[in-house]
Amino acid sequence: MASTFAAAFEIVSFGAIIVLVVLGLGIIASMMGIFNFAQGEFVLLGAYVTYLAYAHGAPVWAGMVAAPFVVGAIGFVLEALIIRRFYAAPIVAMLGTYALGLIIRESVRGLIGGFYLTVPEPIGGSIDLGSVHISAWRFTIIVITLLVMGGCYLLLARTSFGLRVRATLENPALARASGISTPLIYGATFAFGAALAGLAGALIVPVFSLFADLGIRFLIQGFVAVMVGGVGSFIGPVAGAGVIGTLSAALPWVMSPVVADVLVFVLAIAFIKFRPQGLISGKGV
Amino acid sequence: MVGAREAVARVGEEPDVVTGEGAPAASAPAGRASAGWKVLPIVEGLVLLIALVLPWVLQDYLTVFATRVVILALFALSFDLVWGYAGIMSFGQALFFGAAGYGVALMARDLNVTSILLILPAGTLIGLTASLLLGGFLLLGRYPSSVIFVSLGTLTGSYAADRLARGWYYLGGQNGIPSIPPLTLGSYEFEEGPIYYYMVLGILVVVYLLCRFLVRSQFGLALAGLRENEQRIAFFGYKAQHLKAIIFAVGGTIAGLAGSLYAFHEGFVWPNMLGVVFSTQVVLYVLFGGSGTLIGAVIGTVIIEGVSFWLSDNYRDVWPIILGVLLLLVIMFRPLGLISFVLGERERVGSFGKAPKETGNAAP
Repeated sequence: MASTFAAAFEIVSFGAIIVLVVLGLGIIASMMGIFNFAQGEFVLLGAYVTYLAYAHGAPVWAGMVAAPFVVGAIGFVLEALIIRRFYAAPIVAMLGTYALGLIIRESVRGLIGGFYLTVPEPIGGSIDLGSVHISAWRFTIIVITLLVMGGCYLLLARTSFGLRVRATLENPALARASGISTPLIYGATFAFGAALAGLAGALIVPVFSLFADLGIRFLIQGFVAVMVGGVGSFIGPVAGAGVIGTLSAALPWVMSPVVADVLVFVLAIAFIKFRPQGLISGKGV
Repeated sequence: MVGAREAVARVGEEPDVVTGEGAPAASAPAGRASAGWKVLPIVEGLVLLIALVLPWVLQDYLTVFATRVVILALFALSFDLVWGYAGIMSFGQALFFGAAGYGVALMARDLNVTSILLILPAGTLIGLTASLLLGGFLLLGRYPSSVIFVSLGTLTGSYAADRLARGWYYLGGQNGIPSIPPLTLGSYEFEEGPIYYYMVLGILVVVYLLCRFLVRSQFGLALAGLRENEQRIAFFGYKAQHLKAIIFAVGGTIAGLAGSLYAFHEGFVWPNMLGVVFSTQVVLYVLFGGSGTLIGAVIGTVIIEGVSFWLSDNYRDVWPIILGVLLLLVIMFRPLGLISFVLGERERVGSFGKAPKETGNAAP
């Protein structure tokens, strides 16, 4: 019983991390039609900002609060300078963002060297539930993920900003004609997606420690999750991330980890092949 | 009738051609340019000439390096066929390269087969089989697959293969398969050096000529049409998905050939050969050199590998950043690659009409 509960917690906690990473990726893919290969590097940047704050003596949580703002600002600038040119051609956007990711990743690698740098958990220790001990920080990640998910949903579904974002997605020409500044909306959406990635990086760095390939680790899983969930809506990628995250964490408990690892991808690709619109089809929230 | 309209459209677009890339061919009137002087054969001849004299000029260890570059150029050619001509973004080309490498490495390790007469066909066959399976699955079917799906599907395939190789003890795990014996022909052993270099160069030239014939044939014309406007090709009665699957398999076959040569040349295989690292590396070569021209892929490989070799002593950390910046600049401002500095648009496409502006184009 206790071990089942511990396993369930592990699975949920990993699922939450994947959801957190995919949120930004999904918003950019759904709302802008761009598969951002640099998203993993935004996660890395978030982790790096947190590490920098910690290394300079600031409390870890301060770094975590700063990370999304810093990464969001970087994302905004990059969108205005570079990403904006790629909207017409999605494949070229992939290549361009890949190049961007390469630059960011290798710069960070140059800054931190080939090391694994650890950042302590701002909330340490464990929560005891009878005979089971669960990591307090991982529990916090689950809670924050839920809050961020709810916040994003409300932002897109209930605010006028969300309405403009969705209008721009559905019909850019009409949105422009209605007085919405679509370039600004694209810039803000991209920055928002980048900020979410930065937050994800900041939150997971105590769990995985900081190394240059931190972002790459999640990127392909993230893409697969977005495709499984369905591009075009906010809920789709989140649902996909939940499924992929849960599967990748749960399967190793019942079979060899190597097989499980590959099986998740094979299942996902087969699923997308036969249901290209994903779990949740349709545009909007 | 459509042909006539095309011809009219072409005449109407001639001023565009004249103001093209400033290449000699483009400055001549369009009609004469196709019959007269061409840049492409000159570039190809120059590259071949340099490649032929290289072992006499270089020191031995550099010849070994040059051999590796020639093999990678073969690999780049396979990607260029798939992306540059048919417009299929294969982000997992290394899957075929690495699968063939691992396959022949296993043959050498477990079956003691090192004869070139068995190894190269085997590697080619592995590449063909793997690409037929993956390409058939991703490209064929009742509904045409989206470009995004194909590119992410190939990427995922390559990544999954990498993970599998890393975790599978039989394939050597993280370390791969070390100390593959040299390739043999009868009792002769191909050691690294000029002979291996010329053998690989010969293979590259043969494959290059075959590819050149392929892309200038009727089939190549249909492929170029596929890249420019898939729907119109489908309206003409071509089975667009079948064309894609065929060229994908051809690309995989060449990648398999390159992979088996690479495995024996390096003497070991390791998981990166299957994975995202090599898959994206080959994309860089082709984009940098110029996709949609076969020679562009070769030139891109030589330049990137050459500069990277040259810089790796002093600027090891900075080089990947420079590479990223250069790549970004090429994608943003020179979407047709470095070759477009000397090669006019008309000649790049061949003697059948002008390419629309979207060809791998980053313009908004």
